[in-house]
Amino acid sequence: MRAKIETKKYVLAFVITATVFFGALMISGRFEQSRLAEVKSVENKISLDILSSETQFALLKESSCKAIDHSTAFSEELNSLAQKLAYMEDSLGEKNEEVISLKKYYSLLQIKDYLLVAQVNEKCGVKPITVIYFYSNKGDCNDCKREGYVLTKLREEYPELRIYAFDYNLDLSAVKTMKSIHGVRNTLPALVIWDEPYYGFKSPEDVEKIIPELKKFREARDKAAAEASATSTKK
Amino acid sequence: MITTRKAGYSLTHTTVVETLFNDILYIFLFFSLYLEVFFLITFFEERLKLSTKKLHEKLSYYPSTTIIVPCWNEEKTISKTIDSLLRLHYPKNKLEIFIIDDGSTDRTWEVAQKFVGNPQIKLFHKENGGKHTAVNFGIENSKADLIGCLDADSFVDKDALHEIARAFNEDRDTMAVTPMLVVHEPKTILQKMQKTEYHTGAFLKRMLSPLDAINVTPGPFSIFRREVFAKIGLYKKAHNTEDMEFALRMQSHHLRIRNVHTAQVYTSSPATLYKLYRQRLRWAYGTMKNTLDYRFMMFRREYGILGMITLPISFFGVFIFLYNFSFIAFHAVRSIADKIVQIATVGFMSAIPNANSFYFNTDFMAILSYMFLGLGIFIIWNGVILAEGRFRPSSGIFYFILLYGIVAPIWFIRALINVALSRESKWR
Repeated sequence: MRAKIETKKYVLAFVITATVFFGALMISGRFEQSRLAEVKSVENKISLDILSSETQFALLKESSCKAIDHSTAFSEELNSLAQKLAYMEDSLGEKNEEVISLKKYYSLLQIKDYLLVAQVNEKCGVKPITVIYFYSNKGDCNDCKREGYVLTKLREEYPELRIYAFDYNLDLSAVKTMKSIHGVRNTLPALVIWDEPYYGFKSPEDVEKIIPELKKFREARDKAAAEASATSTKK
Repeated sequence: MITTRKAGYSLTHTTVVETLFNDILYIFLFFSLYLEVFFLITFFEERLKLSTKKLHEKLSYYPSTTIIVPCWNEEKTISKTIDSLLRLHYPKNKLEIFIIDDGSTDRTWEVAQKFVGNPQIKLFHKENGGKHTAVNFGIENSKADLIGCLDADSFVDKDALHEIARAFNEDRDTMAVTPMLVVHEPKTILQKMQKTEYHTGAFLKRMLSPLDAINVTPGPFSIFRREVFAKIGLYKKAHNTEDMEFALRMQSHHLRIRNVHTAQVYTSSPATLYKLYRQRLRWAYGTMKNTLDYRFMMFRREYGILGMITLPISFFGVFIFLYNFSFIAFHAVRSIADKIVQIATVGFMSAIPNANSFYFNTDFMAILSYMFLGLGIFIIWNGVILAEGRFRPSSGIFYFILLYGIVAPIWFIRALINVALSRESKWR
């Protein structure tokens, strides 16, 4: 009396379900791979930028500093890369081998950029403001998330600011050297501004207090903006 | 679903516990997907039979029919219900209507007096004893081939009985026919949400029908062959969901229940959250308790898809639903908390997510959710076509997708608690 369901139908449903389920798994994996590839290519571009700047700087070493265009000398992509890398770490997990390797490479690029900036600084008297930031994502740093938000905001507000972020626990000798040079203790978050370490959460206002130049940048920008709007109203 | 994280440096970390919870979720999602695929295959098998009704086609035989209208304090809706029955396209000498006043304390009995003298209508008055006693009273007094019931808050489409009678004529083995329930004139957001919910339910019911896996013969206008009552007896008290107990009893005797989507019945739906909660708590509690009472059919192949799928879902579905819900809620709360921290730290303007395709969420879980959403929309789409003949977008679909997952856990959780404590839920 009851409708008979053929075993074939149960099996067919199972095969379709499994195909869809594992298809989704594969698609998701494919997307992750293309993201990793994107991060990798951004890193390569930065590496190229740095190499180019280093070469340019070496060529002009003996001659005038004016020949260096300071606005383009430093790679701008370090900022966006930081965010992309953080996103990857979030979705793949911080233990993912590829993520760790990308992060190590990123840390090295930051150090190279930091050295280049210091060199230009010394020779030409240009003074970009650098902030070195040490964080941990092992769950032992409650304020690191908030400090991250603050630095991202500052970075957007002041393109003049060069922020270098390092995972305190990253197993990379260059990063360890950075830690020891600046004498940073394991009290995170930690900021190093002009060779002076600051521990604990710092709000944007705190950072602006430590770096009074930031205020000048803002005033200059506000003034320029005011002038621009004044000219446009004149028209 | 664009997930963006502007925080460049700080990250969450996955724990072992979280991985375990994820794995359980994957298993649940696999089963849910399997069920949806199973229904979709059934849909493709059945799709040619899902045509609209053949209007004005005369039946070779019109079985005599009794429709019982049990009422308890229905003075406002009783007239409309009876009028809709009198308008049915069905030979008048083949259709009789029993109005059974189950000891109303309002003016129901007086209002019903206006039908005195109508040869199709018989009025009865009895002591209050609950809806099922009123229906049983009607069944005992009927001599018709087909016996059904219509709640006094529902109205029938004029072709409904014609379509049901045809289904009985076409298949001698069909012992009960359930109609398609449609929400009557939805006004509030919750009612509009329920309209789409009923469409979805209608689609699933229609798919369960050829699989012989229907587990409820709803109060509004389910029609039975007379011999069913002779074979398995009358309605009995069953956790205030007597219509479900009766369907399960029929299934346990392998009596065929079919759903006819061309027979439409309009039913009033609760307008407020509290009323909806009361109704659904009663349903959810009744579903679980009745399923427990008939658990001997569960996972037994001789009871077909009913035993293998409908009953397990009726019981375990609540757990799976709540598990998935808590998972989503947990992640939603966590990301909202993160957002609040971000806004509190750097202000609202800096916390606006940036729309870059890089940050489009393509996690395995996210892709699965997109697929479930797609399948859900497919089911809603076909439910609407089943009910209205063609697809029309409506705000109800939006409310259903947005709200149902939020409001349903309220009664599911309470029902679980009540089942655990064996606490009966009230009718009203």
